[in-house]
Amino acid sequence: MERSQYIILILLIFITVTPTVYFLLSRTGVIILKKELKSIIYSPIAWIIISLVMLLNGFSFTAALEILRKNDIDETLVGYTFSSTSFWLTYFFIFPVITMRLFAEEHKIGTIETLLTAPVKTIDVLLAKYFSCLLFYIILWIPSVLNFILLWLSSKENGSAIGSLGGAYSIILLLGIFNISIGCLTSALTKNQLVAAMACFTFCMLHFLIGFILQDLPVPELWRNGLFYVSTVNHVEVFINGLIDSRQLVYYLSFTALILLITYKILEFRKWKA
Amino acid sequence: MIKVSNLSKKYVGKSAVDQISFSVDQGEIVGFLGPNGAGKTTTIRMLTGYIPPTSGTAKIGGHDIFSESLLAKQKIGYMPENVPLYDDMRVREYLLFRAELKGLRGQEIKKNMNEALELCSIKTIKSQMISSLSKGFRQRVGLADALINKPPLLILDEPTNGLDPSQIRSFRELIKELAEKHTILISTHILSEVELICDRVLIINEGKLIGNNTPHELSEKMRSSTTINLEIKSHDNNIKEDISKISGVKKVTLEKEENGWKFMRIRVDYGNDLREEIMHLGSKRDWLIREIHFQRSKLEDAYIEMVQSKSN
Repeated sequence: MERSQYIILILLIFITVTPTVYFLLSRTGVIILKKELKSIIYSPIAWIIISLVMLLNGFSFTAALEILRKNDIDETLVGYTFSSTSFWLTYFFIFPVITMRLFAEEHKIGTIETLLTAPVKTIDVLLAKYFSCLLFYIILWIPSVLNFILLWLSSKENGSAIGSLGGAYSIILLLGIFNISIGCLTSALTKNQLVAAMACFTFCMLHFLIGFILQDLPVPELWRNGLFYVSTVNHVEVFINGLIDSRQLVYYLSFTALILLITYKILEFRKWKA
Repeated sequence: MIKVSNLSKKYVGKSAVDQISFSVDQGEIVGFLGPNGAGKTTTIRMLTGYIPPTSGTAKIGGHDIFSESLLAKQKIGYMPENVPLYDDMRVREYLLFRAELKGLRGQEIKKNMNEALELCSIKTIKSQMISSLSKGFRQRVGLADALINKPPLLILDEPTNGLDPSQIRSFRELIKELAEKHTILISTHILSEVELICDRVLIINEGKLIGNNTPHELSEKMRSSTTINLEIKSHDNNIKEDISKISGVKKVTLEKEENGWKFMRIRVDYGNDLREEIMHLGSKRDWLIREIHFQRSKLEDAYIEMVQSKSN
């Protein structure tokens, strides 16, 4: 590796590991995290989302199996599963639904006041809410891993696509890390949960598809190439083929840190304004 | 306990709180009084560290609310206006969360929670969902939350808002009970409340502090509203003129007349009790007097006068 790559790597570790470690060490942060997780799990929305994701994952998995059974082509099961339409359908809905209530609800019913006048730091509140959603997001994907494990157990073709599967789940985690921070931001911007959800949805959708959309529009070549580089759909392809690309790691993790920082500033600003 | 100096909060184009200074000593119950929109809630939010002041400082138990906000917040039990609570939690669960958040640990949590439940008499509803509680119980849960870490200072923003009269009364009793162990700052626009429970009153109007007295002092200050009410019967038609002649009487008005009884209102100089002179005159003139009453001015009059004179 070159020197600059080392520097980037160190910076990356710094912006991701530091807040995480800080958070895990903060007592109040963990208390709020527990409470947030509880209120996610006690709400019907969580269970609707979990069943929706399981159902659609089941569809895409079965569909992928069917394709492989009928055709003799050189593609992996993982590749088919994670590029099917029903799989991406779930993806768009998860983030707005799990993040919309984070701050919008607290602002709406006023509990943000009791929360922030307790001896807690705003940054603890933000990180607790962020990590609670991230944890729920991870829980959400666990059943889908079981699909693959069950298949491999029954077919005795162990670990044939382990790289591809690892790549697929890495990108899912990475997108979760990034898009949940977007959800935090939109929820902190408004008192209205619906507005927060729609803003998050719009952003996730655009970010995902921007490369596709621009292909047919009369925009300068430079723009098109630039935006194609940030469009999620291309990243997914790379990762599903089993390649964990460090450029994407840098892109998502650094932007997550930036967006969480902006969210923090907005929360503080709302205090000055309120 | 609280020391506020030149605290201001400016929003774009208008100032919500303008250079107010006051202090509250340990053990006092202070009423924070003012019309709606006068800046009460803004001031309280600054004291609790929810919003930062534009200028000026405030200290809670010696800790600055801005630079040492965590230490200052530790000393405050705060119950915001309308008592926001998480509807999806049970009472016990909510109090447990708040206790942990405020830094209580282990056995202390259990002990303090039981005490708070007992004190606010909400033991019977501790397993209920907060969403199913009535307004009065919500208020008590909010108060239990404020009390849970036994803070030296309680700040209550309009705590009796929306309660029915009997609930208001029991709430008042509760506050009095709490006053033995806590310093209390209580914001309200209900005057009788202040008169009954507070040691001192701060009056705020249009962002400015316009009064800082005991309720009694405040009423005494009101010179214009000391009156003597009189019910009198006589064939004599010159009662009004005769009473007017007594020195110290400023104005006599005949309110109404019923079956020969005249109801009169006599305005006198501040604190000048002329009942003896009137009775004296009455016995000389053979008047029948069935009621004579020296009316001390109420806090309400003082309050209305102060607020109105400032805004005119």
